[in-house]
Amino acid sequence: MLIELLTKKYPGMRLWLTQRLSAVAMVIYLILMLLTLAIRQPRNYETWLGLMSPWWWRVLTLVFFASLFVHAWLGVRDVFKDYVFNLRLRAVLQIVVDVLLIGYLCWISIILWKL
Amino acid sequence: MANVRNRPKNLNLFTIRLPINAVVSILHRMSGMLLFLLIPALIWALQTSLSSESSFDKLGAMFRHWTLKLLLIGFSWPFFHHLYAGLRHLGQDVHWMTTLNKARFSSRVVLVLGACSMLMFAYYIW
Repeated sequence: MLIELLTKKYPGMRLWLTQRLSAVAMVIYLILMLLTLAIRQPRNYETWLGLMSPWWWRVLTLVFFASLFVHAWLGVRDVFKDYVFNLRLRAVLQIVVDVLLIGYLCWISIILWKL
Repeated sequence: MANVRNRPKNLNLFTIRLPINAVVSILHRMSGMLLFLLIPALIWALQTSLSSESSFDKLGAMFRHWTLKLLLIGFSWPFFHHLYAGLRHLGQDVHWMTTLNKARFSSRVVLVLGACSMLMFAYYIW
């Protein structure tokens, strides 16, 4: 049943699931982050950098931000669909949001890459 | 046709009393939009904290100032609300607490948890 709903016939269901999965991914990362902060208690630059810089933690951080951007993209899209009735204006707003989110993804990738 | 046209309309939002589930729902939306607008601030803060020792210290000094602390506490509420209301939605997606009374109860839990979390956060950073 669930598999049937996730086929190409029901594209909305895929977006629905993406919204949920990205939310769960972010919650897991936030819990890990909170635990790390509680255990390691970074008080200065060195300990903070040491906490953020292992490659696997940078990968998880990138996954968190990618989930955030996908989640935001779907959420803002729904809000535009509900409240912006002028189709041309909605398309323009959507492009602005798309460009912003892609820009954010590049920005955070560079930050994490350079660590 | 005339009847249809003459039907009374009530679009005065101040006379419509939203049920508590709807309040939680619209706040989930509004907090989501606000959090979307805060994304660049989050990335900027992360970048500043990681780029050098002096910028890390500068950011620390910024966050110790009371105006920024107030702002952080203010923005913590939409974050907590969006988190708890989202978890509530995930619960409902797997058919947990979906009857009207239970949904009303979980709405109240979301609002109370959001307020408590903001207060705890305020106490912690002050």
